[in-house]
Amino acid sequence: MKIELRDLALQYDDKPPLFQGLNLTLERGDFALVQGASGSGKSSLLRLINRLQEPSSGLILIDDQPIADRDVHTLRRQIAYVQQTPVVIPGSVADNLCFPFSFKIARKTSPPPSTELRRWLDDFLLDQVQLEDDASRLSVGQQQRLALIRILLVQPDFLLCDEPTSALDPQSKEIVEQWLERTNAEKKTGIVLVTHLDYIPRQVQLRRLALEDGALQEAAS
Amino acid sequence: MSIIDISPLQLLLCFLFVAVAGTGSVVFRLDLERDLIWGSIRTFAQLFLVGYVLKFVFQISSPYLVLLIFAWMIFWAAHAVRGRVKEKQVAIFLPTFVSMIASYTTVAYVVTAVIVQVEPWYTPQYFIPLGGMIAGNSMNAITIALERMLSDFRKERPRIELALSLGATYQEATAHILRDAIKAGMIPSINALMTVGLVSLPGMMTGQILSGTDPVIAVKYQIVVMLMLVASTAIGSTVVAHVVRRLCFTQASQPTLH
Repeated sequence: MKIELRDLALQYDDKPPLFQGLNLTLERGDFALVQGASGSGKSSLLRLINRLQEPSSGLILIDDQPIADRDVHTLRRQIAYVQQTPVVIPGSVADNLCFPFSFKIARKTSPPPSTELRRWLDDFLLDQVQLEDDASRLSVGQQQRLALIRILLVQPDFLLCDEPTSALDPQSKEIVEQWLERTNAEKKTGIVLVTHLDYIPRQVQLRRLALEDGALQEAAS
Repeated sequence: MSIIDISPLQLLLCFLFVAVAGTGSVVFRLDLERDLIWGSIRTFAQLFLVGYVLKFVFQISSPYLVLLIFAWMIFWAAHAVRGRVKEKQVAIFLPTFVSMIASYTTVAYVVTAVIVQVEPWYTPQYFIPLGGMIAGNSMNAITIALERMLSDFRKERPRIELALSLGATYQEATAHILRDAIKAGMIPSINALMTVGLVSLPGMMTGQILSGTDPVIAVKYQIVVMLMLVASTAIGSTVVAHVVRRLCFTQASQPTLH
């Protein structure tokens, strides 16, 4: 899968454009880091690729096909997006992890068994958390990891993560970053990571992108 | 027993009630005299106007005229819903009006043609008061349902977007909100079913009894009306909520409310 942004611009109402003339090609297997000042449009960029909103002008192509020509529900499943503030639905930890499997689009896939869910929680240093626990009672950091596991269970082709480690302690941050890199290396999942924190890659070839003054610039690798 | 008519002089005597209220207003400096007089005059004028229009419609008994009057009543009901919901981003008037017309005409037709079995079904003496009660009562249910739904769409936007971003359709992402909204709209008419006859005597039944109808017949009509109102509030608020929900999302299932 390939994502191509061509001459993309985004503007809200009569405010100055958030960005314009934005061009970028992301291939499956890429690991891209997007940085920039707050309010520069990093989150909006991810929302555009997940098609939660439309650009003011320009084109987004998925495998050379305009994004609008693809079934939006399948697309969002393939190019998954993790919100900046973790959202939990009312219910247990297990309910939250199985939430992506409750929709029509997932009717052919069954939710993972609890043994697998348990393993995921342990892998993300959530060994104190029980599957039956009320998800709304978890700390923000725990909810952030829960949201990430939930999206990894979907096994998307691309993963768009908006500040996934902002509320994590250094140890948990390390684990999350390792998992993202592992998913990227083993499953060839394309990762687009928006973060204001420093990122030191362990085993991946990192593409560093900066969204500044309404333009996207890529640092030479 | 036939009904006792009220002569114009007797009717004017009612102004004594207004005079009592007006005196109270002067004594206690409520500053309501003007409103009382203007309100009383309007009551006379509006009701007489409706009375003469109905008399004319009853004489002609044309299905077109009856349906036109029904549409006119629903128009004002939809107008009142728009006024009370105060939604600026989504134009709710037209979808509300069209959905109300479709569902209320169906319910009113079933009541007159199938249950009461009036010949013909559009006999204005039956169709207009029954239809009027449907429009008036369901208006509240629709207002409550829409207010609740639109406010929850805004409040729960992150959760809706979470579901959408995971591939859910907008219907799946908002199913719980729609359900709660319709339920909230339905509760007053279900409560009315529980308390009718205990807390107050319904207006229509009282009216029929005053006009000399056997109280048992009046009760039967009231039962029809109560159940008809439950059906029309359920159908009306369900249809309107579904149609308005559609307008809150783009073709690509993107939320439009901010």
